[in-house]
Amino acid sequence: MRRAWVAGLLMAAMLSTPTVALAEIGRIKTVVGAASVVRGKAATPATPGLQLQVSDVLQTGKDGRIGVTFVDNSRFSIGPNSRVSLTQFEFDDTTHRGKSLTTVDRGSLGVVSGQIAKENKDAMRVRTPTSLLAARGTRFVVKVP
Amino acid sequence: MRAVVAAAAAALVAGCASQSVTLLNNEGGGQGAVAVLDPETGRELGQVTTADTEASLGRGSVEAKALRKDRKPWFGDLVARVPYAPETYVLYFYEGTTDITAESESVLAALREALKPDSEVQITGHTDTVGDAALNDRLSVERAQQIRTLLAASGLPTDGWKVTGRGERELLVATGDGVDEQANRRVEVVIRY
Repeated sequence: MRRAWVAGLLMAAMLSTPTVALAEIGRIKTVVGAASVVRGKAATPATPGLQLQVSDVLQTGKDGRIGVTFVDNSRFSIGPNSRVSLTQFEFDDTTHRGKSLTTVDRGSLGVVSGQIAKENKDAMRVRTPTSLLAARGTRFVVKVP
Repeated sequence: MRAVVAAAAAALVAGCASQSVTLLNNEGGGQGAVAVLDPETGRELGQVTTADTEASLGRGSVEAKALRKDRKPWFGDLVARVPYAPETYVLYFYEGTTDITAESESVLAALREALKPDSEVQITGHTDTVGDAALNDRLSVERAQQIRTLLAASGLPTDGWKVTGRGERELLVATGDGVDEQANRRVEVVIRY
């Protein structure tokens, strides 16, 4: 009986782990030209509908563009020749508490902020090689040539 | 050797100087602001508060300059390709039931029009504070499922949809316990295009 109970717990643990690991933070909405998503060591072509996770890296070639909508309703437009990492993203859709950090290594990024920036001061951040930006409820573009 | 170093330094300086942030008007009018923080300490170096002004990044201070009006901005295409704003539809229910109100029928019709087979859909049910919390958790999920069922009847694939209930945790109108409040008996459907 006790063993069955432990096995049950183990199974519950195994069932619940992937859910956490695969938490969707946003989805690719539009893709133009050469564009890929790097997850761990694997690069896959970016396609509309692809679900994104924390730590994914979005890359575009010289004709590439990617549009993304996140679960807090913030939205990105990634321009050509870009490398953008979804370094951090936490969002509780009941309390709207959360924070995000996006790293723009190169290229261009258009941002329309969402619930994270609305509900938490300076919680939506964008890092460039030299700087750290905090969205205060807004639309802006960042360029890293 | 020295020339190479100098060239590299010049390139580095040029690269740093041309990183920039440009604030734009919000889609609904008005504007927010973007703060520039020290990447090491998080201390605020300054902020950009006027739409259509641009600040160079990587300097100790923040000085936003107006964009030149005689030049096409570099970011036109970038801004045009930001995905559409998500839309929220709200349907209301009769007390203690999964029946939508007569007024919400038009919202259901609008939803059917708006949804496409590849739409990303999140359906969240809510209740008022009549009844205990466990019952309301169940009722809120049933309301959300009912909306999915009604929408599925028009032939949409609903497999990837997120359907959840929040019981009485997220009141639209704050009330005490045991209060019959129409505005809180609702399902919110978010479509992210």
